[in-house]
Amino acid sequence: MLYLLKIDFKKLIHYRTFWIIVGLYFFTLGTATASGMEFLKWLARTIEGFGQSININRIPLYHFPDIWQNLAWSSGLLKIMLGIMVVISITNEFTYRTVRQNIIDGLSRTEFLISKIGTNLMLSAISMILVFFISLFTGLIYSPHLDTQFMFKGIQFFPAYFLEVFSFLSFALMLGILIQRSGLTIVLLLNSYLIELIIKENLDDYVPQIIPYFPLESIMNLVPMPFARYAFQEIRDYVSWQSVLIALVWVFLFNYFSYLKLKKSDI
Amino acid sequence: MSTVLSIQNLTKHFGRIKAVNELNLEVQSGQVFGVLGPNGSGKTTTLGMLMGVTNPTSGSFYWFGEKPTPQIRRKIGAVLEHPIFYPYLSGQHNLELNAMIKQCPIENIERVLELVELTERKDDKYRTYSLGMKQRLAIASALLNDPTVLILDEPTNGLDPMGIAEIRSIIRKIASQGKTIILASHLLDEVQKVCSHFAILKKGSLVHIGPVGDVGQGEVIVEVNADIENLNEILLTFSGTASVLRENGSFQVLMRDGYHGTELNRFLFEKGITASHLVTRKKSLEQQFLEILSEH
Repeated sequence: MLYLLKIDFKKLIHYRTFWIIVGLYFFTLGTATASGMEFLKWLARTIEGFGQSININRIPLYHFPDIWQNLAWSSGLLKIMLGIMVVISITNEFTYRTVRQNIIDGLSRTEFLISKIGTNLMLSAISMILVFFISLFTGLIYSPHLDTQFMFKGIQFFPAYFLEVFSFLSFALMLGILIQRSGLTIVLLLNSYLIELIIKENLDDYVPQIIPYFPLESIMNLVPMPFARYAFQEIRDYVSWQSVLIALVWVFLFNYFSYLKLKKSDI
Repeated sequence: MSTVLSIQNLTKHFGRIKAVNELNLEVQSGQVFGVLGPNGSGKTTTLGMLMGVTNPTSGSFYWFGEKPTPQIRRKIGAVLEHPIFYPYLSGQHNLELNAMIKQCPIENIERVLELVELTERKDDKYRTYSLGMKQRLAIASALLNDPTVLILDEPTNGLDPMGIAEIRSIIRKIASQGKTIILASHLLDEVQKVCSHFAILKKGSLVHIGPVGDVGQGEVIVEVNADIENLNEILLTFSGTASVLRENGSFQVLMRDGYHGTELNRFLFEKGITASHLVTRKKSLEQQFLEILSEH
């Protein structure tokens, strides 16, 4: 496994596009999550009446334990960048036909897939660790008082966020392996949310019970959107086992479809 | 001699097209085995199946008497069709990656780069290489693991005469080390120059297999010229002559079985004629190839 991870890393380490996209991703991830308070201050300055009617320091955006879910959810929005990088990495193998040479040189098709899945796991893990530490430090800075009893309530959103990123990257990898062309795959990846939304809206009136089982819906359900709670609405502030289970099944299916396609086709 | 590769009833269909049809073949160790055939005769498809990238429709093959596995592929160096590398990586980095996949020591890289004379350009990106350099890097990569078997598919495709000569000398150098080489080509001259055995494929079926040395045996043509006017008639009176054909200002004498240039020379000498030109021509692989293809 480590050997396969090293092989994929070797392909990426001298690839400039990889460093630009991944660098930009982690930079945006770090700065965006860390500067939410600055964003609120900017809103208060720019929008007339915003700072007066709501005291921004009273919005516990960065207070423990709210911060875990707030930042895990916000970070999830950026995973699309990583998804595009995964698509480029896998479709390159088909355009350059290097997957063929890899197999001729002695990788099995399964090993080739595992090397790609390994990179997905690494990218998801690094995202999770980065956002965890940013949450921890900004939380320590902005929380008015630290109550160790409640501080870590909601930390479960981090494994959920990890699963969210990893299932999305598995989805991107599968699309790349099925379509094999980068442009087309990226368009479909970006469009898949819209397609799923249209299908869901059309089914909503007839069979609402199947909606949570849609692939992208299940990924979104892992970390629910938290901000409605500041407008006095009820939100789900825990990770539901059902959503984890559905997402896990999809992760398995995405990677299994990739495996089937690689196994069956002539490369 | 041990059997390196044995192919049994190997078949590949692409839809209705039978790319490879019930192929049976054996390659012994130490052979330089040429696979000939017109474009689309199934050479690359066959090699693709042997290297695990094309799934056979039916049939089987064995490397070193074992069922094929990725581990066995690491012991075989192969370049199919054209060189494949990561264009954004340097030659050195591409080979480092290949060494990781083949699980062989990274120190081998220096030696193979030296062999194909690419040491100077090893740190340049692959996409800046000329076609000849790409081909040579591919051969370097195939040799990286010090393989016992080397598979080359059209290794001189698209090269200039100098490049072709370079690759050919590399192949000879490798063959002289006792490695088994399987060489697919449609350049007959190339196969005749470097191969010890050859097979001919046509529309996915094997139509001929045998040693290159056997090519042109059985039939001897002697090209003669002398400064006399009725040479044609005199040649026809020789008991070993099957037919005489005038071509390019000299006479092509097709000999009967058991007769050779020596007998003809003696005959002419006894008649008091000194030949100004006398050459025994063997049938070229090209002629044999075209004959075999037209027969099937």
